[in-house]
Amino acid sequence: MTPTGSRPASIAAPQRPATAQPGALRKIAGTYRSEIAIAAAIILLEAVLGIFVPNALTIGNFSDIAQATAPLIIMAIGVLLVVITGGIDLSVGSIFSLVGMVAGLVMNDGYNSTTGTLCGLGVGIFFGAVNGALVTFVGLAPFVVTLITYAVAGSLAFIVTNGQSLPINDPNFYLLNSGHIIPFLPNFSLFCIVLLFIIEFTLRRIVFGRWIYAVGSSPNAARLLGIPVHLVKFSVYVASGLLAAIASVLTLSYISNAEATSGEAMMLQAIAAVVIGGASLFGGTGSAIGALLGALMITVIQNGVNLIGINGFWQGSVTGLVILVAVLIDRVSKARR
Amino acid sequence: MDNLQAISAVPDTDQNFILDAQGITKSFGATNVLRGMDFGVAPGEVHAFLGGNGAGKSTLLKIVAGILHQDGGTLHYRGLDVQDAAGRAARDAGLAVVHQELAVIPHLSIAENIDLPRYHKGARLFNRRHAHDAAVEALSLIDKDFAAESTDRLVSTLSLHERQMLEIARALKSGAELLLLDEPTTNLTGEEAERLFAVLRRLVETTKIAVVFVSHRMKEIRQVADVCTIIRDGQCALHRTPLSKLSDAEIIDKMGQNVVAESELLPIAVIPRIGPRVQGDALSITGLGLDIDIGPGQILGLAGAPTGPQALIDQLIGDRSQAGVHIIHGGQKRDDRSPRQAVANGVGFVSGDRANRGMLATLPIIDNMLASRRIAEERKFVRGDEGGEAAGLLEKLRIKAGSLWDLPASLSGGTQQKLIIARWLNLRPKMLVLEEPTRGVDVGTKREIYVLIRAMAEAGTTVIWWSTEQTELLELCDRILAFGPDGKAIALLTGAQISEERLAAATGLAA
Repeated sequence: MTPTGSRPASIAAPQRPATAQPGALRKIAGTYRSEIAIAAAIILLEAVLGIFVPNALTIGNFSDIAQATAPLIIMAIGVLLVVITGGIDLSVGSIFSLVGMVAGLVMNDGYNSTTGTLCGLGVGIFFGAVNGALVTFVGLAPFVVTLITYAVAGSLAFIVTNGQSLPINDPNFYLLNSGHIIPFLPNFSLFCIVLLFIIEFTLRRIVFGRWIYAVGSSPNAARLLGIPVHLVKFSVYVASGLLAAIASVLTLSYISNAEATSGEAMMLQAIAAVVIGGASLFGGTGSAIGALLGALMITVIQNGVNLIGINGFWQGSVTGLVILVAVLIDRVSKARR
Repeated sequence: MDNLQAISAVPDTDQNFILDAQGITKSFGATNVLRGMDFGVAPGEVHAFLGGNGAGKSTLLKIVAGILHQDGGTLHYRGLDVQDAAGRAARDAGLAVVHQELAVIPHLSIAENIDLPRYHKGARLFNRRHAHDAAVEALSLIDKDFAAESTDRLVSTLSLHERQMLEIARALKSGAELLLLDEPTTNLTGEEAERLFAVLRRLVETTKIAVVFVSHRMKEIRQVADVCTIIRDGQCALHRTPLSKLSDAEIIDKMGQNVVAESELLPIAVIPRIGPRVQGDALSITGLGLDIDIGPGQILGLAGAPTGPQALIDQLIGDRSQAGVHIIHGGQKRDDRSPRQAVANGVGFVSGDRANRGMLATLPIIDNMLASRRIAEERKFVRGDEGGEAAGLLEKLRIKAGSLWDLPASLSGGTQQKLIIARWLNLRPKMLVLEEPTRGVDVGTKREIYVLIRAMAEAGTTVIWWSTEQTELLELCDRILAFGPDGKAIALLTGAQISEERLAAATGLAA
């Protein structure tokens, strides 16, 4: 609530006017205020969990959480892009399932893992482009369009193998997820960090990224300003499809078994992560860091519910409550300004 | 606190106020918008509420209407404190507001928009017949022709101007005992404004309702209001003073805008014109019924019924083309297929309809200001020096903003408008299309906007200016194109022909 700090942390670009030059730390703190709050909440959750379950706070458990959350983070930052433009992408879970099946099928047909991966990513881009084209050029509502592709991709995931799951036998494929391009940093973390950096940089420092916010803020004003609204909208759906595909291939590499239902639960989790991360479903706000923290929060809760030994069926209720609390806190802090 | 008391006049308590606000304070973050404001309104008066942009007018009106809550001070309605349920209920039942940002429901019909507020409970049958009659009755208060058309039309198909009439008609019909009109004439023609004033006077005299009237137009304030209260820096600068005892200069002085004292009353050519010596592109428009030629660096005003100007503007900015209308600018045929193409061809656009056609409300001030620059200069990255660039523009336009990263909503309406004009400052667009650029802007800020626009014209930009405020067209334009109700151009006034009488005669509207 300082005079200069009362801007929405989730959308501001990183530099400040020459008139106010706070230190680097305060600068970051100002830019990512609501993100820091979520991070603090996650640490608090972990601390409380640590009291009940001592081995929650071990390196082993943390690396389990990181492993489990990586695909969700990647999917969530894709959904985030769509949400910032004021749209929604319900198809990411089905795309995730279908991509895994297609990649598995290609590898089972004797092609190497690179070909399988590329085919999988192609499927993601294709469905993203279909979403984008229907929303942008035909002018259908994002909810309806992605509901259609959700249904179609979801059923195709079963059709390609008639519902059979596919084991992956390529030994090198495992390295995609858990290998080390950089020593001591497993690839799944590396991909997460790189993608997060690319998206966050795009949103803040590239003019195209600012256009994504502008389109969500007021589509009409953005159009009259000369912003290529169609191109922006089309691009975010393609990016969302591609990111869901990347998440799927990474998961497949770790699990080594393609299943037609693998992405079923992930769509709602990704949207929840975006909302917990401070984005508004009305568009115009949100940050990639926020989406990452939202995804992390969801995984931490699931992990905690497992470790405490609560009946797993409660997971959804606990996650729902956390979303409610996160959204209420966001609302109260915005009303105060 | 003693200090504050001394500055603001304490209202005489024996007055039987319908609305009595005392010592209202309100802050947003570190900004103290209201600092002990007093405001009393008595039945049977039209009360002009005046103040510059950012003085706290809108905030006080929102508190009165219950949209915002004051931090301190008391607000009584008919002697009842609105903190209590009884006072709140009395206020909600007795108050009708016409907001500056129109509050009509686009997906419902005219009849439904007017009649729905009558239903306090949802579980009632909606009486279409009654709704139609109520709508006709309400609309005929202000415009018989409008009332004669179908009341089943969806509000989304209406023009801004028709929506404004609808909202006013609804408020007049609501049977309210206190009417708040926040710049109700912004989207009205002179003739409609006259009718509105007549209705207001009649209502006030016969039913003793109270009307609070906010406007920046001195002429109409004098025409309709009895007393005025002036707010300045969140405090009462003048309380409940009969307008007959005040000169325009005194009023403007109290508002803290003595620098620009007579701007609104001055005749043509206050701001010097340079004329044809300027470097720039000539513009010619054919197919509107008249052939129009504009020299470089000139300002073409558009006046009259809104359909014609709106269509021409939409064509100029590449949003919608009209068959048969051809535009040649700088020797080249202009047929931009999209606003993007128009921007690429050097057409700038500023709208007074900030909410729908101008502002990016969830983006900080800096992004809003630099939006056009980034496109015009084809910037790929958000540059490191953009903070300095934006700060420079703010300074040049004398905009006071807490931080470049605040949302535009933290600024007053007039300041937001300057922000949108800042998009084109120094960019030298070939053509600048202005659509009611001074809507909701105070006298002082208007003056600053005039100077900015004139300077841009002198730098070689062809300026197209649509305004429903004829005085500003008369003051600034080199030529004025008047449109008739059918959207056809009916007269082009040039040089010495530009006068209030001629313009009124041409458009068929009272000035």
